Amino acid sequence: MSSEHHAPVADPSFDVDDPRNTRFDLVREGLRRDGMEIAYYEPAFPPGRKSKVEKRIERSIALLFVLAGLFAVAFVVAYIWWPWKYEMGATASKFYTPILALTLGGSLVLLAFGIIAWAKKLLPHEVVIQDRHDGASPYDEQRLTGAAIMNIVDETGIRRRPLLKAALALPAAGLGVAAVAPLVGALIKDPNDGHPLLKTGWNPENNNGRPVRLTRQDGTPVRPEEVSPGGQMTVFPGIPGGATNKWADSPVLLIHLRQADADRLRASIAASQAALAEGRDVTRPVVDGMWQNFVAYSKICTHAGCPASLYEQQTNRLLCPCHQSQFLITEQAKPVFGPAHRKLPMLPLDVEDGFLVARSDFLEPIGPTYWERPVEINEQEATS
Amino acid sequence: MSPRKRRFEFARVPAQIGQDLDERLGAATLLRRALNKVFPNHWSFLLGEIALYSFIVLLLTGTFLALFFDPSMTEVAYDGSYTPLRGEMMSQAYATSLHLSFDVRGGLIMRQMHHWAALLFMASILVHMFRVFFTGAFRKPREMNWVVGVLLFWLGFFEGFAGYSLPDDALSGTGLRIATAIILSIPVIGTWTYTSLFGGEFPGTEILPRLYIVHVFLIPLLLLGLITVHLALMVKQKHTQWPGPKATEHNVVGVRMVPGFALKTTGFFLLIFGLIALMGGLVQINPLWLFGPYKGEVVSAASQPDWYVMFLDGSTRLMPDWDLTIGPYTIPAIFWPTVVLPGVLTMLAVFYPAIDRRIYKDYEAHHLLQRPRDVPVRTALGMMAISFWLVLTISGGNDIVAEKFDISLNAMTWAGRVGLLIVPPIAYWVTYRICLGLQQHDREVLAHGVETGIIKRLPDGRFIEVHQPLADGHLEYAGTPVPKKMNKLGALGPAIRGFFFPIEKPAPPPPAVTPVSPADAPRELEEAPPKY
Amino acid sequence: MTFGLGRMRRALRHLGSARVPAGSPRATAPRSRWRRRAGNAARMVVALLLVGGVYAAVAPGVQANVASQPSAEDIAEGKAIYDASCITCHGRNGQGVEGRGPSLIGVGSAAVEFQVATGRMPAARQDAQVERKPPRYTREQAQAIGAYIQSLGGGPELPDETDEQIVAGGDIANGGRLFRVNCSSCHAFGAGGGALSSGKFAPSLANSTPRDVWAAMLTGPQNMPVFGNNQLSPQEKRDIAAYIYTLQTDPDPGGWGIGRLGPAAEGVAIFLIGMVALVLATLWIVGKQQ
Repeated sequence: MSSEHHAPVADPSFDVDDPRNTRFDLVREGLRRDGMEIAYYEPAFPPGRKSKVEKRIERSIALLFVLAGLFAVAFVVAYIWWPWKYEMGATASKFYTPILALTLGGSLVLLAFGIIAWAKKLLPHEVVIQDRHDGASPYDEQRLTGAAIMNIVDETGIRRRPLLKAALALPAAGLGVAAVAPLVGALIKDPNDGHPLLKTGWNPENNNGRPVRLTRQDGTPVRPEEVSPGGQMTVFPGIPGGATNKWADSPVLLIHLRQADADRLRASIAASQAALAEGRDVTRPVVDGMWQNFVAYSKICTHAGCPASLYEQQTNRLLCPCHQSQFLITEQAKPVFGPAHRKLPMLPLDVEDGFLVARSDFLEPIGPTYWERPVEINEQEATS
Repeated sequence: MSPRKRRFEFARVPAQIGQDLDERLGAATLLRRALNKVFPNHWSFLLGEIALYSFIVLLLTGTFLALFFDPSMTEVAYDGSYTPLRGEMMSQAYATSLHLSFDVRGGLIMRQMHHWAALLFMASILVHMFRVFFTGAFRKPREMNWVVGVLLFWLGFFEGFAGYSLPDDALSGTGLRIATAIILSIPVIGTWTYTSLFGGEFPGTEILPRLYIVHVFLIPLLLLGLITVHLALMVKQKHTQWPGPKATEHNVVGVRMVPGFALKTTGFFLLIFGLIALMGGLVQINPLWLFGPYKGEVVSAASQPDWYVMFLDGSTRLMPDWDLTIGPYTIPAIFWPTVVLPGVLTMLAVFYPAIDRRIYKDYEAHHLLQRPRDVPVRTALGMMAISFWLVLTISGGNDIVAEKFDISLNAMTWAGRVGLLIVPPIAYWVTYRICLGLQQHDREVLAHGVETGIIKRLPDGRFIEVHQPLADGHLEYAGTPVPKKMNKLGALGPAIRGFFFPIEKPAPPPPAVTPVSPADAPRELEEAPPKY
Repeated sequence: MTFGLGRMRRALRHLGSARVPAGSPRATAPRSRWRRRAGNAARMVVALLLVGGVYAAVAPGVQANVASQPSAEDIAEGKAIYDASCITCHGRNGQGVEGRGPSLIGVGSAAVEFQVATGRMPAARQDAQVERKPPRYTREQAQAIGAYIQSLGGGPELPDETDEQIVAGGDIANGGRLFRVNCSSCHAFGAGGGALSSGKFAPSLANSTPRDVWAAMLTGPQNMPVFGNNQLSPQEKRDIAAYIYTLQTDPDPGGWGIGRLGPAAEGVAIFLIGMVALVLATLWIVGKQQ
């Protein structure tokens, strides 16, 4: 059935109405006219009486279709009648989604198997060769199209009338900008408007100028004795909505250090202060924010903003679970491993009426670094 | 009798409709051409279809989800069926995500199917891209379609990120928060972009509605448009094919679109749909009810993005803390692995066809594919890229690896840093050597024949293995697989029956490839029958 | 003993809520949902009374084991075990041995019960972190050692509650909220555990009993921070323990949970299950017929 020549040519003398032509001859002529040639063609089974094999394949495919149908029915039945609402515990409802999957997926897969088996086993085996007609257009076509385009350009007269061209540039540019303006203009928001990057919920301005209390998630203030040594607590600014996402920059990790660790941290702060006083190079700001053995650090990682809150109470490391930056609590939470570059900002603590409060806002912007980030915020701004 | 009065013949209706339509549209030629279009047959040509069909599943399931999801960030108290969250304050977005999971009949399987289909969409894009890369299918004239494919990957990437950010659970919120850090890291315009996109400070109340319209309208529209372009270019330029019997640079050898290809591809679509449905209900994905609503202070150990974002998470984890200070300004370390690195990778991918042209000094159009072993530099470069990507992706989950295999987390990070530098060159070298070895083996078989496994002792005492030559004369390598086992020549009975190693009675024997007809192949075997 | 008791009570509860025999007229009579619920409630009350009665009658001695005032026999038994197994590292009378094991004075019975009942103690060797393993001593023995250590220097104690009582008394919604703020950062949302710095890790809570969870919060074993009763009240601890119990026992509604490991496991699944299946399918679809 194979033929050697590659470019099939339509037979100009082919008569579609010639009664001697079979339908397959017509098919083949159609293919030729579309640049195709049947190189190999063999029906899967000879015409006439069905052989045993053919019958068996037919039955198998029919079985797949029937099963697919049954699964589809089962899907509808389960969808409607199986208890579907979520219930706690090992209840029948926990099987709802898996049963839908088995019935729907089963039906689709069985149908797919049937159809693919049909294509593989019952369709004729064929090899058809099609011409590519690829590559660039013929040279004269290129010339003709080029001429047409240049003619259009000349017809508009744009080259003859530079004045119009120049004048048109104005509305083109103007409308171009106008097209972008609403999008940019409506979206744009000045990051310096209200200084959201510099201020957090701990700023006393949110509490009528009074120091903000450290509160739990439910808003109750925290007494120092409520956190055991070696313990930690996530606290929020004690202002309306302080524990909501409106103040997503404010969560703070309050840690009650054991005596030895607290002494270590105090020594570290003192050393930094001494270095600062001597004008030596030291990471600013140096904040002495401890109250007794308590210390509070911003929970927002200085790397990518995740809550760095995996506190190891023996090693005094604080780990961020997103990119594994590790901060050493006893060294003013300076990063000791991972991609974070800056220490976690320390919240200056105090106690008023027996409750822990923040003396001021953070003395540096919390969270990830950005281009124009100031190194520190002066105490005036942080307390006003 | 006039035809109008003729008796109504039911059997003539289709033909009549066809006639009527053609009188109005004149489409008979076009239709026949479309029905007859030839597709080459190879399993690897179906990988792109997986992406196409999972996209269709995404459109279907996504439309269902959109009927129940509300991206509003207004705080509400949850009162649905999921007891452990009752009374919890959460955004409307998270509440409706829970609602459609637990209080909409079949909502959970729809959500899970949508998510699995998204993962499959991206996975098949990647695998399809590897196929195109390693076989040289991106070469002239298909560079444009390669670039469209790269764009499709990135659109899918952002579509996926927007999608899994929408439910506003604690995991998705964590991802969004990291995205703010990435935006903030961009020099000069970082803070402006950040406040503009979020309408103020993170999280605000505007980001989810904005992401929603991006996720359900903007990117799907672009995806749909680009997929159309991708397919149209493929149809116009016709599919590439492997060298083989009759296949040349100027033709396509395969089966006709209808019925052979159409039936198989329909079956494949149903199979993909069925697989997604099975996974959607049997394997749990993104159990967002466990994560709780997003709160600024909530985080989980092992916080990961979806797999196609994980390589960037990995690069972020491996990056040392190299903040760059320029006077009062800073470029944070996170800028390099999350903005610069993907930019560079994209540019490399986009310009790779041009690079490849330079490497191989080949500026011609090609429609025949290359076997990866025959282009060792490209194959090795590809393996290098894959190993680079793998190191990053594994590092994206290095805390899970550390925890499950009892390895120190810090050691994992260092292994990733070192691995990123040394694994890709090793992968390059090993691949390159393997390619050369395979090439050499092909030439050897062509020159000396297939190993028969028969050992012969020569009169002088030497032992040699009898080789079955493939032809009497010299054989040129034709870029096609060289038979290397006797049963591939039809000389031995088929070793395995089944579809993974298809055995066919050799249909039209291609002169260049199977020069030995089965009849005269076992001549030597008859002379020296094996004794065991 | 606590568990034996729990089993007994569960059996009794089943007895109390046993269904009405099918042949009885009440079972066949149509009943409204409310009447059925009322009936269930009534049976529940009866059952509880019954359980309480039996409990009071047969179990006073058992109760002493979890009570804050342990008997002298318990302390003696605990001392015997201590002197046999713990004394090498922790020294005579819990004084601690330099370089081997810390002093146990003041650690309290809660810490001892946690460490021994979860198999962490006796430790096989000194490592980055002592791991959970099959316990050498039963919970009762662990409690006896705990009683002994408690008698030496006091310290945090577990409440007089069984696992069942803790779970029954907890509010899982509140527990979930507290879990996500305090626990999930290390133990992960699915309570499967997570890595910490340099080889340390937060263990999976899959096998932790409510009493273990309570003891861990109370005592802060190894690198875990302490959550004292001032910080998380006993009721809040009960809520968290109940939530963790829910995480352990509530089957995944969406199918196989692939370890609740999150997107990393999902990514592996889509390649190992999805892509592999579909690539095999492409081979089959295109493969030629014999």
